[in-house]
Amino acid sequence: METVFLLILILTMIIALASGFPVAFSLPGSAVLTILLAALAGYLFAGNASEYFHQDGPIQWLSAGITNFRAVYWEVERDTLIAIPLFIFMGIMLQRSKIAEDLLVTMGQLFGPIPGGLGTSVIFVGALLAATTGIVGATVVAMGLISLPAMLRNNYDKSLASGIVCSSGTLGQIIPPSIVLIILADQLASASDVANTARQAEYKLFTGEFSMPGAFSVSSTSAGDMFLGAFFPGLVLVGLYMIYVLVYARIKPSVAPPVPYDGNYDFGFTKKVFLSLVPPLTLIFIVLGSIILGIATVNQAGAIGAVGATIMGGYRLYEGKKHAYTPSIIAVLSIIAIYFLINNFDLRVKDITSNNDVIGITLAGIAVAALTFSVFWSFYRTLIIDETLKGVAIETCVTTSMVFIILVGAAMLTAAFRGFGGEELVTEFLTGLPGGFWTQFIVVMAVIFILGFFLDFIEIAVVVVPIIAPILLAQTDANVTAVWLGVMIGVNMQTSFLTPPFGFSLFYLRGVAPKTVSTIQIWKGAIAFIVLQLVGLGIVGYYPSLVNYLPYRTYLTSEVSPPPKNPRLQECLEEYKFELYENNEDKIKNGINNLTSINLNYLPQENKDFLKNTFSNATLTFELVENIKKTQTILNEYSKEYRPLHLSVRKMQKKLFKIDNKIKKLEKEKKYLERENLINKVNKMQNQIDSLNNEKNIILEKIPSNWEKDHGEYNKIAMENRKAITTYRRNVDSVYENIQTTKLIITDRHKLNDIDNQIINLRELIINESKDDGVNRIKSLEKNLNNIAGTEAIKEKLSKARRILKKEDADINKINLLIIEANEIYSLEKIWREKAEKELLPQLNNFDNSIKNTIGLRLQEKLTKEQAKYVAACRSIHKDISLNF
Amino acid sequence: MINNFNNPIRIFSWSIIFLTFAFLINNILNFWYNFPGVDRFFANYNIFFENNKELTTIEFYKSWLQFLIYIIAILVSFAYVNLYNKVEIEKDSEYLSNFSAYIIRSCFWGVLIIGIVDMILSFLRVEDFLIPLFGESLGMNLGKSAFRGTFIHFPLMILAFIIGYFTRTLGFFWLAFLVVIAEFQIVVARFIFSYEQTFMGDLVRFWYGSLFLFASSYALIKEGHVRVDILYTNFSERGKAWSNLLGSLLLGIPICATILLRGMWCQQCILNAPIKSFEQSMSGYGMQVKYIMAGFLAIYALTMLIQFTSFFMNNSSKLLKTDPS
Repeated sequence: METVFLLILILTMIIALASGFPVAFSLPGSAVLTILLAALAGYLFAGNASEYFHQDGPIQWLSAGITNFRAVYWEVERDTLIAIPLFIFMGIMLQRSKIAEDLLVTMGQLFGPIPGGLGTSVIFVGALLAATTGIVGATVVAMGLISLPAMLRNNYDKSLASGIVCSSGTLGQIIPPSIVLIILADQLASASDVANTARQAEYKLFTGEFSMPGAFSVSSTSAGDMFLGAFFPGLVLVGLYMIYVLVYARIKPSVAPPVPYDGNYDFGFTKKVFLSLVPPLTLIFIVLGSIILGIATVNQAGAIGAVGATIMGGYRLYEGKKHAYTPSIIAVLSIIAIYFLINNFDLRVKDITSNNDVIGITLAGIAVAALTFSVFWSFYRTLIIDETLKGVAIETCVTTSMVFIILVGAAMLTAAFRGFGGEELVTEFLTGLPGGFWTQFIVVMAVIFILGFFLDFIEIAVVVVPIIAPILLAQTDANVTAVWLGVMIGVNMQTSFLTPPFGFSLFYLRGVAPKTVSTIQIWKGAIAFIVLQLVGLGIVGYYPSLVNYLPYRTYLTSEVSPPPKNPRLQECLEEYKFELYENNEDKIKNGINNLTSINLNYLPQENKDFLKNTFSNATLTFELVENIKKTQTILNEYSKEYRPLHLSVRKMQKKLFKIDNKIKKLEKEKKYLERENLINKVNKMQNQIDSLNNEKNIILEKIPSNWEKDHGEYNKIAMENRKAITTYRRNVDSVYENIQTTKLIITDRHKLNDIDNQIINLRELIINESKDDGVNRIKSLEKNLNNIAGTEAIKEKLSKARRILKKEDADINKINLLIIEANEIYSLEKIWREKAEKELLPQLNNFDNSIKNTIGLRLQEKLTKEQAKYVAACRSIHKDISLNF
Repeated sequence: MINNFNNPIRIFSWSIIFLTFAFLINNILNFWYNFPGVDRFFANYNIFFENNKELTTIEFYKSWLQFLIYIIAILVSFAYVNLYNKVEIEKDSEYLSNFSAYIIRSCFWGVLIIGIVDMILSFLRVEDFLIPLFGESLGMNLGKSAFRGTFIHFPLMILAFIIGYFTRTLGFFWLAFLVVIAEFQIVVARFIFSYEQTFMGDLVRFWYGSLFLFASSYALIKEGHVRVDILYTNFSERGKAWSNLLGSLLLGIPICATILLRGMWCQQCILNAPIKSFEQSMSGYGMQVKYIMAGFLAIYALTMLIQFTSFFMNNSSKLLKTDPS
């Protein structure tokens, strides 16, 4: 029954959307309507309002909808959405103060004389500035109004010109800073949480182990990651577009003739170029750069962008008047001053320690005041001239509201969709498809492509992504990252918007293009760009590193980077280390040999053994690495043939598991009905159970007979490999740790000297004191010893002495003896450590340095830059982990 | 032209509005003054609800009173339409739209003033200036959200509604500017002075939440909410009016009603619970306005409900005025 209501939900939604009622209310409205309808029908026909829901009832789903609604601004995790109004503000300010237009015109004048130059300028500017509104229609209309006439006037081919406008209008949507990417990131972040939970459940089900190793978890995303991830793919697409236009213009000069510039290339022109190009480009680079370098969060970058755009608007609107540039000059100067102060003073207000700090903070305060003054001056200017600020603010509010109300409304729709079991249907359909991740992925992409004919970026991102992304991300055979999925979806939608006859972009351009441009010409112009899009999609799909590398690299080199011991990094780090082992085998071995030949005879027996042991373990490393490689090859060989069997059987087992759950549920209901003596219904239920059992048996029979044996064999081999890896890791860790411990013992020699008085005179001191004081004295000495490495033996003696002293009938002789013994060890320790500091320590330090990148890598605090780059590159490739499940 | 349908539509629309306010009044009576609620009134007569707890005499009268509030609400809409029976639907629609704008404007002043005042108080609190400045008892009290709510926020809200009455600006759009400034302040404090506190982020969140919820009803009038206009653009004027009329009635108003009803049905529901307990953010040292942010959703639902009703009236008048042919 619930499927009927699912259909009603979808139908209501289609009707509501098609009727042209605002999307933001059509989506939640149809959800509310259908839920109420189902509740009413349930109440009337089955006596239970929850009857026609997949699980729970109408009240729960409505509440869930409202909770989702509120969550957008209520939960701290979704703070990145705040960046949306900020970037919209920035974009609209740049547009309304004509800075965007200036940029376009000047670029056109500068590059126009090259064949196709004007077209490439349009693409470049469109890609940079179109990003901020997030509505394909608005962007294409804006671009169509400004740049299409300019190109047509200069005799550009109509098809090419309209193709350029359509494509660069949509292209901006996936180039950061774009609000579509922020929304995608927000949706994908929660989707990857869901996916991760699903994966964990699967892991538990198949392996029986309780917790899944961190290396297998789904990698999540954030707005910053999304920006970084879309950066290279965006560049690839912009590059493809530009190359296409330039090459096409070379081959057939008539389609994109050079546009001669009428004026002179003189100082005035240079100034104009400088003023209209440098500030907006600098702003975009500051905004993007601060995100890419991990300095600022996306929100903060958005604020910088909004304020920067206002400062520019402040002089642009005032152009030609006196003091036009004063506020911006003050702003730039104060920023330079602040930069200087940051580098020369400690400006932390919470931590003022010296007069110097006070001076620095005061100066910085003055600079900030100047900056604030110039910012507010600029805001004031934009307010008084044509009420630009008011216009910008209103448009920002309206656009933001539109985006967010859709976002929250879709959350309600998703709740209803789940309530009627839609999610499970989609999951069953997708996972029931033959083949693994890639079939599902292609089907999903095709669906999104078709939806793109009717719905805009935001709607698809908030309606479709929460439903399909968890399923795709949970797939273990491709193990794609959320960022990659997001970028692929983004590029796909973009292509869809360009595709005739329905493409959004074409549709909107038709609205603003002059009558002389025919619809067919617009369609024709789009085709080349669709091909380029598909090429781009192929490139990004084939080289996931294009997307994944930058986010990983930024993360791994940032201040919050994980330590090298992090389980997710191990595989790549080992790859890195194994390369080094191979290349530097002799060097490392020589190092170890040198160490073994050092004279250690003056060391206490224990320490000597400890070190000797460590050295021999270090030599073992190579053997262990060989062992890993060997077991890995065996595993790989075996996996090749085993993989199809594994995947198909796992799929069947998943089905069986689901059937089992259904049977359990039915059995439970049956028992309940039996108690109520409803024979009819009981029989019906029994029939259902029987047919499920039949189905189960059929599947059970399909499982090949060699499964048990082959799977067992695989487990054995995999276990060997895992064992080899663990042995290796333990070994290198212990080697490096031991070296560190020894080094610490030696360097702690200075601390030993500090307690000279306390320990040497201990006997005399205690004799003259009361019992309690004596006990306390020894205790404090023990405490001091705790801070000194390698003093356990001394401490043991002292503890014994203390315990005796505590007793009623303390044997003074015994205590004396123990203290003397402790003193003996103490002086021995001092002697050998002193010697070792001169002879052994430098050698150990040398060795430590030489194995930092190999044996000791796991125990370093941070990855070096080179290592981070290597790991980022290695991790950015998707790896199949399905055999682990 | 005053048509046969004129007054029934007006009565219908006004009842929606008055019933909504009746519901809000009853909600306050239920959860702030411990009234039994209308559900218990019906339960007493075994209608709709099961009677699982007998009412005391005083509760019985209270529940009758609460029931009467709804009846009065309907009567008032009849009375109003009868009293002003020559008013056109369009005019009424405009009144409602203006009323919604008034609520938004006052709420804007409210979040502006409360945002600034509470931020200052939170700053003083986190830097331990409250007690030296205001003395032991007042200083301590200002750190508690219940006190701050009752003695700082509520008076400021009343002030805001007064300011809202005497000003004519749209108001809410300034929130875009405020969000930019508030986030920029974080940038300056963090990157230059390495100073970062929870209340700074809270202020941004406070204003940004109000920004998109308050702007929604304006966006509805100004056609700011996108439509899938593949078919819509080709509709006739009447077709568009029908779409808007049915949409407001079947989609818009039910959403707002659902938010209000579900959010205020019970003590623990998501609108009542945070407001009643003066909920504040998890990290204790932020601003103490989180419960007001729960109120934003109620404001959104209320203003949108009024706006949708106005929209409904406006479009029905369009339909009545134009000829079906």
